[in-house]
Amino acid sequence: MDETSSNKDLSFFKPQGATMRGEVRVIKLILSGWLIAIVGFQLFAYLLEVSYSELLLEDLVFFNLPIQFWLSGQLLPLWFIILCVLFNVWMDRHSVQSLEGSLRFRIKPLKNGEE
Amino acid sequence: MANGIIQLVPLAIVAGVFALFILSGLRNRSKQASEYGFSGSYTGRIGIGAGIASNWMSAASFLGLAGVFYLKGYFAMAYVVGWTGGYVLLLVLMATQIRRFGKYTAPDFVGFRYESDTARTLAALISIIITIIYCVAQFRGIALLVSWLFGIAYIPAVVVGTSLLVSFVVLSGVLGAARNQKLQYFVMIITFILPLMLLTRKLGYFWILPQFGYGAAITELHQQFGFNWSEPFACTSLFEWFALCFTLMFGTAGLPHVLSRFYVVPGIRDARWGVVWGLFFIALIYWSAPAYGVLARLFEARGGLTLNTGSADAADMIVLSAASLGGLPIWAVGLLAAGGMSAAFTITAGLLMTGSASFSYDIYPRLIRPGASEADKVYAAKGFFLILAVAVMVLSLRPWGMIAEIAAFAFAVAGNTIFPAFLLGIWWPRANAFGAICGMLTGLVISFAPLLVGDSLPFIAHFFPLTSSAFIGAPLVMFVMIAVSLLTAPPSDAIRLFVSRNVHDCPENP
Repeated sequence: MDETSSNKDLSFFKPQGATMRGEVRVIKLILSGWLIAIVGFQLFAYLLEVSYSELLLEDLVFFNLPIQFWLSGQLLPLWFIILCVLFNVWMDRHSVQSLEGSLRFRIKPLKNGEE
Repeated sequence: MANGIIQLVPLAIVAGVFALFILSGLRNRSKQASEYGFSGSYTGRIGIGAGIASNWMSAASFLGLAGVFYLKGYFAMAYVVGWTGGYVLLLVLMATQIRRFGKYTAPDFVGFRYESDTARTLAALISIIITIIYCVAQFRGIALLVSWLFGIAYIPAVVVGTSLLVSFVVLSGVLGAARNQKLQYFVMIITFILPLMLLTRKLGYFWILPQFGYGAAITELHQQFGFNWSEPFACTSLFEWFALCFTLMFGTAGLPHVLSRFYVVPGIRDARWGVVWGLFFIALIYWSAPAYGVLARLFEARGGLTLNTGSADAADMIVLSAASLGGLPIWAVGLLAAGGMSAAFTITAGLLMTGSASFSYDIYPRLIRPGASEADKVYAAKGFFLILAVAVMVLSLRPWGMIAEIAAFAFAVAGNTIFPAFLLGIWWPRANAFGAICGMLTGLVISFAPLLVGDSLPFIAHFFPLTSSAFIGAPLVMFVMIAVSLLTAPPSDAIRLFVSRNVHDCPENP
């Protein structure tokens, strides 16, 4: 398989090139944080309900709200915003580094150290 | 609602808000050319975020969500999580990459990526189907508000609401008023949160942040009236919750009018940060919406009213009912009506125009009149706008659920069709036109199966609920797309190299 055809065969699970590999790595981390929080909070509430009926869920109050309301209704949207900020910060730094890398190849050095 | 009483003060507030929108649009008209006004002007990332939030806010967010909380309690959290979590998917998997394709609409993207006019036309048809379903939810919200404002029955209110909407669009078009989305978002958030602060203050709760303050009402409901919110999965299963939540997330990342937002911002970085601000502005509404449902229950319990267990109309108007039952002045209730009307009107106007543009540019010149001139296409768009409005009006006369449920069905269709086509189109260059067409058709079948055969085949209704079918449906459609693509000829080298080099920045010699 030549290099061009290997480029054509890329996928999310088979990223090619440093840029895509880095991007896919951070996407996987963000999506893991996203999925674990969504599934984890619901399983937590479900297990509490199944194990202790409503007794424990009544007593667990956080920021004035029952714990399951606070986790799903307040914290999860905030967590999504945090994940988006983390992704953007990484992408911004990554794109600056890529730009610097590409500039090194594109700008020819001037003679006698002129600027 | 058909009490024959015209709500003069709220009506004046609603009219004032719409006059403000039109005047502001006229003022921005001269600026539009110098900026890039697809839908109004933008100043920075916060402005882009306000535009995204304004474009997103609908009757489902403003009225419907609180109604689901009122009727179904914790189950409605699936809407909050689904409608906010979908933006994470959208940002990390699609926003940046879509811009690199440089196509302006969902059918444009599908046609270019899959190099197929058939796939493009199918995507256009699906976009129109999604538009119709989504607009039915909005029309229901508009009709309920019109019914309350004018004191007329629901069915005449649908007709009056449709006439008002079409008049608003025509008047804005004739005057050339641009949409000022920042102003629209500002109006919506103020009209939603100010009455809530007044309500919680009146109750003696923590009113500065009513998003937390309403927790005291949950405790009071439980301790004094035996109304229990503390068993989150008592009435619904974990599967139902996850199915709805993930369907809404997949749908968010597949709704054509949401995807189109990323083309109309100045740069990729601005698009990404705009999503963060947009998500924050959207979350402000969703952090607050449950409070209206809970407070309405409390006022009913305090007033000795019997608990409503099934009236969808009453639940969809619970935001206004909570304000009335809580004893707020009529102008505060009018603010809520104005916010709900502006949310429903602006999104419906935008969706109907997008739907008619899809028809006039993707279907009319390809299937109905090949070789149509630009002028013909403009006439076709205007005609189809009216046809769409009438079709939605007829469907709205007998809606099949609550506002949020109808909107969720539109999300399910988008999640089963457009979302897989975009996701694989971006991340798997081997996906081809046959795969995309088979996938989108499978998605349509899955979406409508519970409606058509759900009664005779109960397992279909169980595993693919009407509002939540994309949880299993979207992965199934992706499987179909992958299988069909692998069994048929690969797409051209040109598009595969475009995806790897231009979209994913892969070097020629890794």
